[in-house]
Amino acid sequence: MAVSLSINGEVKEVDADPQTPLLWVLRDYLGMTGTKFGCGIAQCGACTVHIDGAAVRSCQYPLESAAGSEITTIEGLSPDSTHPLQKYWVEMNVPQCGYCQSGMLMAAAALLQEIPEPTDEDIEQYVNNICRCGTYTRVRAAIHKAAADMKA
Amino acid sequence: MNEIVKVSRRKFLVSSLALGGAMVVGTQALAATVDGAPWDKANAAGTTEFTPWLTINADGTVIVRATAVDIGNGTLTQLAAYVYEELSPVWEKIKPEYASTNRDFLENNVYSTPGGALAYFSGRSTGPARMDTYMQVAASARERLKAAAATRWSVPATEIMVKDGVLTHAGSGNSAEFGELLADAAQIQLEQEPPIKDRSEWTFLGKKAPFKVQLPKIVNGSLIYGIDVREPGMVYAALRQSPVMGGKLKSVDKDAVMSMPGVLAVVTVDPGENVPTDLKPPFPFGVSTAQHAVAVIAEHYWQARTALDALPVEWDDGPGADWKTTEQMNEAATAAIQQAGDKVEASTGDVEAMFAEAGEDNIIEADYLTPYCEQAPLEPLNGTALVTEDRVDFWHPSQHSQMAYMVAADETGMPPEKVFFHQTFVGGGFGRRVFSDDARMVVAVAKKFPGRPVQVIWSREESTRQGRYRPLMAGKLKASLGADGLPTALLGRMAGGPGFFAVGMADTALTNILKNTQIESQTVPFHILTGPYRGPGYNSNAFFIETFVDECAIKAGIDPMEYRLKLYAQWPDIGWVKTLEEVKAKSGWGETLPKGQGRGVAVANWGMGGKPDEGTTVATVAKVEVSQDGVLKILQLDVAFDTGRIVNEDAVRTELEGGTMFGLNMSLNEGLNIKDGRIVEGNFDEYPIIRMADLPPQINVHFGGLSDNPRFFEIGEPPTGVVGPAVGNAIFQATGKRIRTMPFRLHDLSWS
Repeated sequence: MAVSLSINGEVKEVDADPQTPLLWVLRDYLGMTGTKFGCGIAQCGACTVHIDGAAVRSCQYPLESAAGSEITTIEGLSPDSTHPLQKYWVEMNVPQCGYCQSGMLMAAAALLQEIPEPTDEDIEQYVNNICRCGTYTRVRAAIHKAAADMKA
Repeated sequence: MNEIVKVSRRKFLVSSLALGGAMVVGTQALAATVDGAPWDKANAAGTTEFTPWLTINADGTVIVRATAVDIGNGTLTQLAAYVYEELSPVWEKIKPEYASTNRDFLENNVYSTPGGALAYFSGRSTGPARMDTYMQVAASARERLKAAAATRWSVPATEIMVKDGVLTHAGSGNSAEFGELLADAAQIQLEQEPPIKDRSEWTFLGKKAPFKVQLPKIVNGSLIYGIDVREPGMVYAALRQSPVMGGKLKSVDKDAVMSMPGVLAVVTVDPGENVPTDLKPPFPFGVSTAQHAVAVIAEHYWQARTALDALPVEWDDGPGADWKTTEQMNEAATAAIQQAGDKVEASTGDVEAMFAEAGEDNIIEADYLTPYCEQAPLEPLNGTALVTEDRVDFWHPSQHSQMAYMVAADETGMPPEKVFFHQTFVGGGFGRRVFSDDARMVVAVAKKFPGRPVQVIWSREESTRQGRYRPLMAGKLKASLGADGLPTALLGRMAGGPGFFAVGMADTALTNILKNTQIESQTVPFHILTGPYRGPGYNSNAFFIETFVDECAIKAGIDPMEYRLKLYAQWPDIGWVKTLEEVKAKSGWGETLPKGQGRGVAVANWGMGGKPDEGTTVATVAKVEVSQDGVLKILQLDVAFDTGRIVNEDAVRTELEGGTMFGLNMSLNEGLNIKDGRIVEGNFDEYPIIRMADLPPQINVHFGGLSDNPRFFEIGEPPTGVVGPAVGNAIFQATGKRIRTMPFRLHDLSWS
């Protein structure tokens, strides 16, 4: 069944079962592989996108619910990787293997939209994604730096 | 005037010029006159035959070829840094790429001879042998460029500077970029190979820590992991293997799903169908054995997955189902260590005589247990293979490209020269992706649907239940204590399933300080398949030993830190005492803590093989708080280490942070249960992983433990072994409760 989606400011047409999770629509039907599959049960957050500005775990979000909303994926976080989060993620060597980091960045970006000067507790609550490599302490530090940048 | 250089036309360089102006430094000729001698440190200087590690293009791009896979540990960046130190190209123009396994096979192991079975392995990737290799090749290229410039400008080569891709001669005002000199440099044959820089001459290594080269693609979602491969005409497969390892497929009703949306085929895998080849893989093919399986192939993964869940399948579980419960397996392992083990790992002096002499009051004995754990890389297992009549292409997030390549050839029967392996980026390795059983399953499925690329994806549940696990291990330690409280004799026993790792007991400092030791191991016939999990063997034995040492200290009435300082002062490797002193000073050890808080220490070494001044020693202090109803909080972690010397401080710090967090989750949370031969847990709701909130704001990594011994040893695995016992020892101080089994979350830590 054909559905129109608005993704990163562009309209894309998708012909898929309306129950297909948005994660797989993005990755397989649209070839947008920046959003990652980690668990499929919304535990890990690797699949995090923004839907109308809110962080959503797309592995549990059906296609039919996504129609009519503004979807932002990691590919659309900034036009040229200039979001302060992206800048500090690189400068501070935050990622190791990097697989969880699309979701980490999208969760962090949603946090900073809602809480421009987050406390450690805010960060822990909003950015509770799983990272197996152990980048948590750097993620937290980079979010604080980006928040300070964005405030200035 | 200047050094004598031979200008000669070399056939292969003319060929490579014809390919577009690139100078290939270090290629064996395309003709079959390959010299099979390994490229190693001893042969590096004075040889005129190079290996194909380095290409310089006309636009100044420098291709650096790597065999070791970068799994987030920064290998590609570090090898680029080695090249940069000697050659000084423009940093942004250095392009690391993976060395072709196909070419390695065709050219008599040109890439894998230095490094052998571990050449293409994701660890041990940037140590001294590799450092010397890359610096030598880069220095050679630099001198050839200088010689070419010297000839062109009629000036001494010694007066020419090379910096950031440009050669300059101050006196004459001449300058040229690399690309302008390639044609001439390609024809230079140096009279003598240059020496590589001494550590004292480094201007980049050890001084600058560039961010990892793949980070810009990570942060915008464009880095391609195995699961992101998209090839024209690609289809997807959802895989399910025999739930009990070693079981067989009994029946499958393909027709039940063939008309579901997108479904193209239902295929089966039977390991018995594989016709063995006589290929020589880096590890025995046995570790990559396939399981009986079914797979649904469809246009899209979600369609395949949905159909797989609806597919009627019956299994013949086989003898593995006789292991009915976790308790049954734990009891079998614990029973095995109550008598002498079949294999003697070490035997010195006379342990029984020492025990008899010491008397019961001076004997201490305890049993320990660590469960099956899954590496749980965040990218689920997957791979993509295109099998045709005369060619195989295989894309895979492997931790060992050569093993995966050989497995693909073995599983298809395709001659290796017609197999092309494409190493992708890897969403977590931790040892899971080495044995290449996952590679074999992908190819086994894809070859049943030839002519289209097939991407096989394991669900998270399938990845968890079809692992190659950290082995279930039981350990017994028994010691006699002398008048000073230190051990005088040690009995150690280990038990686990076939292939379990004994590393870290017979070959560690304690066992080699003592003159009376008896270390034994015993294999129990478990069916659960195992494999390397970050710091294999060591990640259990360090827990056994460092908890036991703590129990000895408590029995002797000596502070656990002082006890270890006294104990390891007897070991000639100063790194043990140095790392302990460092964490003692930096952690606040000895400061009074309120009730419910405690500090614990653990020290161990990964890789020493029984010898001093080898491997990497790590000492970790944990400070914890346990609430009265038993809720554990990690307040502070301090880590000191000795790996001899380091190059990239930030990269080392990253590995120690990450390895500490990995070992922490392993100890606190991880354990798999067995029911009727099957692994029970499937996803992260049942197999918990720590989050940011579970950690203190920093992992404090300290560098004062470094001995400056001239080894630059591995850093990713050593920290995983010590954080668990450090926390366990801290819990004892906080609650009076002694933890002898993992995971800690199963223990009641409440106190009053």
